[in-house]
Amino acid sequence: MELLKGMEIVNLALYIKKINSLVIGDVHIGYEEALNRRGVLIPRFHFRDVAADLDKTFKLLQPLLKSHKGKLKNIIINGDLKHEFGSISGQEWREILKFLDILSKHCEKIILIKGNHDIFLGPVAKKRNIAVVEDYSAGGIFVCHGHQIPATKQFREAKILVIGNEHPAVSLKDNARTETFKCFLKGSFRGRQMIVMPSFNPITVGTDVLKEKFISPFLKGSIDDFEVFVAEGDNFYFGKVKGLKQPQQTI
Amino acid sequence: MIEFKTAPNQPEELNSILNPVVKKWFFSRFKEFSLPQLLGVMEIHSRNNVLVSAPTGATKTLTGFLSILNELVNSSGSGSLEDKVYAVYISPLKALNEDIRVNLVEPLKEMEKISEKKLGIRVAVRTGDTSAAEKAKMLKKPPHILITTPESLGIVLSSYRFVELLKAVEWCIVDEVHALAENKRGVHLSISLERLQSLSPQMARVGLSATIAPLDKVAHFLAGNENGSPRSCKICDAQFLKKMDLKVLSPVPDLIDVEHGKMHDALYTLIDELIQAHRTTLIFTNTRSATERVIHHLKEKFPKRYAAEDPTIGAHHGSLSKTHRHSIEQRLREGKLKVVVSSTSLELGIDIGYIDLVILLGSPKSVARALQRIGRSGHKLHAASKGRIIVLDRDDMVECSVLLKSAVEKKIDRIHIPTNALDVLAQQIFGIAIASKIHKNDLYSLLKRSYCYAGLSLKDYNEVLDYLSGKHISLEDRHIYAKIWVDEETGMIGRRGRMSRVIYMTNIGTIPDETFVTVKIAGSDHAVGKIDEAFLERLKRNDVFMLGGDKYEFLYAKGMVAYVNATVYRPPTIPSWFSEMLPLSFDLALEIGKFRRLMEEKFNRNRSKAEILDFIDEYLYVDKNTANSIYNYMRQQYLFAEIPADNKIVVESYSDAGRKYVVVHSLYGRRVNDALSRAVAFAIARSQHRDVEIGITDNGFYIAYEKNVNVPAALKLLKSDKLEIVLSNAIDKSEILKRRFRHCAARSLMILRNYLGRQKRVGRQQVSSMILINAVRRISPDFCILKEARREVLEDLMDMPTTKNLLKAIEEKKIKIKSIRTDMPSPFAFKIVLESHTDVLKIEDKAEFLKRMHSRIMEKIGEAAA
Repeated sequence: MELLKGMEIVNLALYIKKINSLVIGDVHIGYEEALNRRGVLIPRFHFRDVAADLDKTFKLLQPLLKSHKGKLKNIIINGDLKHEFGSISGQEWREILKFLDILSKHCEKIILIKGNHDIFLGPVAKKRNIAVVEDYSAGGIFVCHGHQIPATKQFREAKILVIGNEHPAVSLKDNARTETFKCFLKGSFRGRQMIVMPSFNPITVGTDVLKEKFISPFLKGSIDDFEVFVAEGDNFYFGKVKGLKQPQQTI
Repeated sequence: MIEFKTAPNQPEELNSILNPVVKKWFFSRFKEFSLPQLLGVMEIHSRNNVLVSAPTGATKTLTGFLSILNELVNSSGSGSLEDKVYAVYISPLKALNEDIRVNLVEPLKEMEKISEKKLGIRVAVRTGDTSAAEKAKMLKKPPHILITTPESLGIVLSSYRFVELLKAVEWCIVDEVHALAENKRGVHLSISLERLQSLSPQMARVGLSATIAPLDKVAHFLAGNENGSPRSCKICDAQFLKKMDLKVLSPVPDLIDVEHGKMHDALYTLIDELIQAHRTTLIFTNTRSATERVIHHLKEKFPKRYAAEDPTIGAHHGSLSKTHRHSIEQRLREGKLKVVVSSTSLELGIDIGYIDLVILLGSPKSVARALQRIGRSGHKLHAASKGRIIVLDRDDMVECSVLLKSAVEKKIDRIHIPTNALDVLAQQIFGIAIASKIHKNDLYSLLKRSYCYAGLSLKDYNEVLDYLSGKHISLEDRHIYAKIWVDEETGMIGRRGRMSRVIYMTNIGTIPDETFVTVKIAGSDHAVGKIDEAFLERLKRNDVFMLGGDKYEFLYAKGMVAYVNATVYRPPTIPSWFSEMLPLSFDLALEIGKFRRLMEEKFNRNRSKAEILDFIDEYLYVDKNTANSIYNYMRQQYLFAEIPADNKIVVESYSDAGRKYVVVHSLYGRRVNDALSRAVAFAIARSQHRDVEIGITDNGFYIAYEKNVNVPAALKLLKSDKLEIVLSNAIDKSEILKRRFRHCAARSLMILRNYLGRQKRVGRQQVSSMILINAVRRISPDFCILKEARREVLEDLMDMPTTKNLLKAIEEKKIKIKSIRTDMPSPFAFKIVLESHTDVLKIEDKAEFLKRMHSRIMEKIGEAAA
């Protein structure tokens, strides 16, 4: 589904036609290990699921890449590739490398944007010769994690912003049943169009936009006029946040 | 063999065994032996297992201790007192432990005075609050009597130095058995008792219990098994020792034609009159919020009496701080309080001094609980207990009147003792492995000696061992998960990892941490109360809900805080959360059903009003006013529709605002209705592929749907032998399963509250347990801890076995199903529709749900655009 002209939702990622790039947000590798350290002895499925999700994404992407011989120019990882600050374990290190190796098969270049959780990213990225950047901009589109507002010229001049960080999700309610789905948000920030991407972490849904308050400085103001796109299976347009906030009628 | 001891011993017999010092002390304090003492003391002296059941204040504790003190004084006199633990005393209440210690130390001092020399008998308390220094002291100079809690007993049994002191224990006293047998703390204790018994094979078990039934089952629970059959145990039944003065009161003559305000006034006037006519009154409400409400209204209505500077009224419930509760207990003992309002926290035997009246506000839901609560008054053996049950609506009135009849006629409802709980099993096996290496087969036989695990299958046992040894995890990661090792060749089991001891000691226990969300007024930091986290999940922006008697509009949540607006003038849009509510006992439910049946027979035979009133008066022990109200209520139902009964389920259908309601009058208590309604809803939903809304109460349930549904057909379609499969499916996606899974995961140490020096917030536990349940399902849908969560929901929370019997009775046509159609809910249906605990049975696929919600929102957006 097209979010903006030439910008399409593909599974949980965002394809930008103009620059033949795919943006992936908030993967949070090491999520289960972090839970383990907190005393939740959860068995590990996260990486397996992430890999399966990537596979699905690339399959869905194929028809869009016809004019590019089936290959992406860039894959942009928009921050928080790894979960949590603090230490990095051998397994997390190996998983990040495996993840980057899968991506490199599908693109010419990987761009790693730093998130608020990515303190240890530098050394791992170096291992694969990938630079870690604060943000990425091309063709009037500016991609950054979203935990702070950049002060660069590129940012000021950008027409479209793409951020992650907040893991938006939306709860839908029918009578006594409530279900929550990952979603993209489309709105604006200081006069520019802005897209908020859901997390690529398969084991958590995210923050309910109807109920909870966001922390990102990009979302400090009201998001009532933001539009909701549920990203599950086919993508579904759900109108504006304020429309969903009204007491949903019960039959 | 488990047997009732019918003939008490003679006082002379007791006198003949008592040491002169003990005897002198005893008669300096008491005139004569009490019945529990005449029944129990000799048995305890002879090291027989005994269960003593008697009301509070009937000298139960001294019954338990008299022989033991006597023995210790004897040994002290002959110089043969050893440095070991002679008796272990276990009580579920930490607060009670200190009381008990004082009540032992004081008599010992007095006996020392009498004998004019030091006895050297040591008594010590060991709970979670005991300091490391005190614990070290106990190791050097062991207490002769160790006072502890079930949890701390679990810890000392795994502490290799302390275990040395427990190798010749002669008695183990379990106090307040009635508060333990029904839950997983009791299940946990049942294995600890076996662990203790294997250290001290000669140990006798002494159980002390308030009113409870059936006594033989509880005695079996206490005593456990030996070689596949129950250990012998003598039951000393003195349950009905105290005289009872019980009445059901209604604040107004007619409970239906009364405005809310009038009812409210009449209720508090009645409560005030009762309080003023007595010295000290204890009021039980069923919930914490009601406790606060009663105090608030009494102070508001009678400020001079209750809101004076030195207040004569106080609250006592679990959410209040320990200091607050202690001060209330202290002031009660000093006679400074006129009235105390409590939810359930004062049910147990904390010493609260002299109470001359107990008021129960609303039905206590079980005869045993009513007697336990009312037994708090007249706290002396020969003082009569005085209880008044105040009823607030007509269903309550019938329920409490029948309850009163059962209480007077000594028919006590039977309790349910959980069995084969795999989470507690995992925790205990871990504890046993920490204490020492053990052979697989020896461990299995030890476990099967507990009443709660006599039926443990080898398959379940092995699955728990697999879980604990991390068999389900790849070898690479096993070091994180495995708690024990199992050597397949030698069959030996032992603990694994350096951290295991610390993990066990800091995470033991069976009481789940509940997740509460603080409710604050938006824009301020003013907290108005707490709601259950699961309730928050159901709240949508602008939903109006009730909390502590006030209405709030939900705005948004941030972390563990829900922000609300306090000025709302709309009625609630979402029903209150009833997780705190006590379920009606099945036995009492049947009695009410029987009364309904008798009433219908009278109406069918055209008996005159006067005749029927006479019958009610005689059958129920109620006053004329109440009898008249009951008559009117039953008559209305009879004329309007049909009276449901114990052998007749009435299925009533009507429509309201386009929505079809089917009310099933199945008065069998909420534990049965919870199971029955879900099974019926599942049968319907599966054929329609749509979610079904259900509402559950003690008196029945309703099903709401967009189309007509044939509930009687669904009821007949349900076969008793398929019930378990149907219900397992029906609860699979429910919130309650997720919630109970979290509790089970914590008990089986999959979620550690304390780990690497960090304490885990419950809020985080809830989120991670969601992830955990999904992961565990992928290992196997029958993973032992998930299986246990399912068992807990179906057997402990709900009552699947009884529901199964009910379905069998329907199959055999012993219970009829009668279908009726009404224009509006019948009188009996009102409360079922209005006060149900609602839930939804999720059948529809999540993707389908999303599609449907999408087309709905598109319609709405389309309309707005047009």
